[in-house]
Amino acid sequence: MGKRLNINLGWLVVFIGLLPFLVQCASTGSGAVQTQAKAEPAADSPAAAVEEAGPPGVEPPPGYEGKTWADVIAEARGQTINWYMWGGQDNINNWINGFVADTLKAQYDITLNQVPLVDTVEAVNKVLGEVEAGVETDGAVDMIWINGENFHTLRQADLLYGPFAQFLPNSPNVNWDDPSVNTDLGLPVDFYESPWGKARMVIAYDSAKLPEPPTTIDGLIEWIKANPGKFTYPAPPDFTGTAFITHLCYHAAGDDPPFTVEFDKQVFDETFPACWDMLNDIEPYLWREGQTYPESHARQQDLFANGEVFFDMAFNPAEASSLVAAGRFPETTRTFVFDSGTVANTHYVAIPANAAHKAAAMVLANFLLSPDAQYSKADVANWGDFPAVEVARLSPDWQAKFSALPRGVATLSNDILDKNRLPELPATWRLPMEKGWEENVLKR
Amino acid sequence: MLFGQDIRVAKLPANQPKAQPHAWGERLKLMLMLGPALAVILFLFIGGLGLALLQSLGYLPFIGRTDLSVEAYRTILSREEFYRSLLLSLWISLASTGLATGLAVGSALVLRQHFRGRRWVMFIFQLNIPIPHLVGAVGILFLFSQSGFLARLAYLAHLIDAPGDFPALVFDRYAIGIILEYLWKSTCFMGVIVLAVMQSVGEDYEQAAQTLGANRWQRLRYVLLPLIMPGILSASILVFAFTFGAFEVPLLLGQRYPSALPVLAYRYYTDVDLNFRPEAMAVSVIISAFVTLLIFVYVRVSRGISRR
Amino acid sequence: MGGLLLPFLPLLLWSVSHRWYFPAIIPTEWSWRAWSYVFKANSQVLPALGYSLVIALATTLLSILIGIPAGRAMGLYRFRGQTVVRVLILAPVIVPPLAVAMGIHMVFIRYGLANTLAGVVLVHLIPVTPYVVLIMASIFANYNPEYEAQARSLGARPGQVFRYITFPAILPGIVVGGLFAFIISWSEYLLTLLIGGGQVITLPLLLFSFANSGDNALTAALSLIFIGPAIIFLVLTSRYLTGRHAAVGGGGRL
Repeated sequence: MGKRLNINLGWLVVFIGLLPFLVQCASTGSGAVQTQAKAEPAADSPAAAVEEAGPPGVEPPPGYEGKTWADVIAEARGQTINWYMWGGQDNINNWINGFVADTLKAQYDITLNQVPLVDTVEAVNKVLGEVEAGVETDGAVDMIWINGENFHTLRQADLLYGPFAQFLPNSPNVNWDDPSVNTDLGLPVDFYESPWGKARMVIAYDSAKLPEPPTTIDGLIEWIKANPGKFTYPAPPDFTGTAFITHLCYHAAGDDPPFTVEFDKQVFDETFPACWDMLNDIEPYLWREGQTYPESHARQQDLFANGEVFFDMAFNPAEASSLVAAGRFPETTRTFVFDSGTVANTHYVAIPANAAHKAAAMVLANFLLSPDAQYSKADVANWGDFPAVEVARLSPDWQAKFSALPRGVATLSNDILDKNRLPELPATWRLPMEKGWEENVLKR
Repeated sequence: MLFGQDIRVAKLPANQPKAQPHAWGERLKLMLMLGPALAVILFLFIGGLGLALLQSLGYLPFIGRTDLSVEAYRTILSREEFYRSLLLSLWISLASTGLATGLAVGSALVLRQHFRGRRWVMFIFQLNIPIPHLVGAVGILFLFSQSGFLARLAYLAHLIDAPGDFPALVFDRYAIGIILEYLWKSTCFMGVIVLAVMQSVGEDYEQAAQTLGANRWQRLRYVLLPLIMPGILSASILVFAFTFGAFEVPLLLGQRYPSALPVLAYRYYTDVDLNFRPEAMAVSVIISAFVTLLIFVYVRVSRGISRR
Repeated sequence: MGGLLLPFLPLLLWSVSHRWYFPAIIPTEWSWRAWSYVFKANSQVLPALGYSLVIALATTLLSILIGIPAGRAMGLYRFRGQTVVRVLILAPVIVPPLAVAMGIHMVFIRYGLANTLAGVVLVHLIPVTPYVVLIMASIFANYNPEYEAQARSLGARPGQVFRYITFPAILPGIVVGGLFAFIISWSEYLLTLLIGGGQVITLPLLLFSFANSGDNALTAALSLIFIGPAIIFLVLTSRYLTGRHAAVGGGGRL
């Protein structure tokens, strides 16, 4: 038997030896570029008639020079758009595949294909990989729900389409002068992504077990040490986990952290060791003695729901309320923000430079900024995400509707949420912080 | 000659002499018959493997990189992370294969007997085979997590007061949850195979041994086990190879760090920094090479055993 | 023995739970939320079920079409290089698919096979083909081609020979091989994830996404849906798996 096997392996080596030729053939073969299907200009629907032109004085985006918004809508008709997005929550998926997909189909004849991801970085990786394989114009990813470091990565590689966001007819609903909108984790947006929601970190706790939660970072650390095993946070690079440790690192770096937009290795090396010390200091008192961390925010929610840990943190202030409604969190769940503030940011949609259906993507980005969509999204019954448009810019009718929206039991008031908003750590710093956490806290 | 034949030892009543194609037409016909299957294996499987090897050596012709280097391997082999992952993967595979083999042989010995409800037990064994590992992993999660079903039973029995008192069996440093999942699936898989082998061997040899005065233990140790050993070995090597290279169970039930080798390779592969890709390829090539090495060892060992 | 079925009980309970916190042994509040979500038109579950079925059935059909002639060649003939061929065909059973999938990914992207149904079916053939070929080979090893010759001498056309002689004889192999092919393709996660690029969403992909989201009710309901067809398929074909049927030899080879 052994003798026969030797012969076989000889053959294997021959085949593997032939492979470079195979690859050579593959690389010289024509990367057939498909011509984009030109959609039939159909009769204008009422919606299209209203939004005929882009905002005045704004240049159309690349590839649409001399064209109007109506042309974009006409081109988008009949297209299928692949929207890559984090797909971990059923109420969000429900809203996307229900309200958004249905309206898009009815108003613009665009088919929405939601591609659910475990981590948005998969979409970024996909675009990079496609471009590396030579797919320049017919990419699979038409739109990404994105912000922060993923935006940064694609922007750095010049793989985002734009500027397009200001050209969208609903763009004037957005307060582009707000620094938390026109910069994304420190990086100028430059209209390469279009906002569609806002987030702010809140901490959830069960008021039945903990009537008075510690609302300062020092207080929380004290509490953790006094209650071993009852606290943990999702392991970065989980989005929520990264945001949570940001607070501790800000705290460790002093009240006015010197984190500039450009990454500064020297400042990083000077300020972050204090943060690792702080995290390592509490590690023995964490869930499982800090030997492992929840892999994702969802695991953290699970731990919180079953009372294994006493706190959950979330980027959506209304999330706790909707989880209470869904039966996943105890009814006595409440939320708070640190007295020193919590980070706030905006989330966006972006279009990869090699996207096959840019017109449909722009129509969708525009639709997401419509009062209709923003209102439906803000409803806790659907999702409860905070509007990206400035409600004061909308018509009085819409303003009234927005202020009449019911708030969930666990959602803080706008007064509290508008105060003490901390800026996010600049995107350029996040990767070093995540890797630093891995090296200095997780693997230590 | 690798796995199948060993299991079918007693079968294969060659009811006609095998055709020996000499004529040109016959050979052409054979080529045509084997063509599609070989195309799948050569172009997709061997091709993919070869491309992974090339890319692990930094050969990426699409972006104009054509010089080969072992840089990726050097980088990986200098990382502590890699060795910890390797150890973890080895531990998972060895523990689940070893335990599953023991349990499978035991169950097959029981199932060989005729007893009431045997059909039912057989059915359950077979029922578990088509259940995807992913569902198995979800089941393990619901059962064994610290707030899972068993922890709740333990609370009911006043064994624990809080979830934290229940031993950490998933996302734990000893990968117990992963091993339990593999154990559950592999025991059924191997049990069915080992039983089939036992049945094909028949009971004649053991009866002969009995008439010669061998007791129960002797019949098992010196008659049955040697006869079914090749079958057990090939089944366990399949389980080992699978558990060493499988991805979704450790991804769902594993600790964040260290992660099993395939999970590590996947993490490298999906890193936003594409420079990690050759390293991802290198890790997966190492996994493949390791498993291939294992086949060699297996062939040597099984040859040794069948000579005895 | 009971331990083998234990994992299913929490799945059933979770799928109809609304509130079920530690240490309750059964849910404190019940709800059909998960099941109604699963069958909702826009939940992606039904399309994923469709994708999974189409892919698994296409893979099964193709692998049987590939496997019958190859199995015949392996089982009925002795030829030079047969061992090489056998080892090659066996290799994908043992060597994990990770390296293969990563290696081939870029070529698939280049030729537009990535993110398509066809591309996913193609890569599913890799783990499936060995099983089908080997099972068919073991069937043909016990097959007497003399009957075909006799039928032909009695005037049967090639189609009739296959229909009335060959097919009934190898049917057990087709059934068992098909069962394996279906189950392997149905459960495949990694190959679909990499080559399907997240756009070809099959049930395992959706299940993983839900399992990661921590929504236990949905995860449980989807798990139950996921195992359904595989079990139906097994029950339908189980009479070919048990007893002293020729196909067991093939199953035993795995």
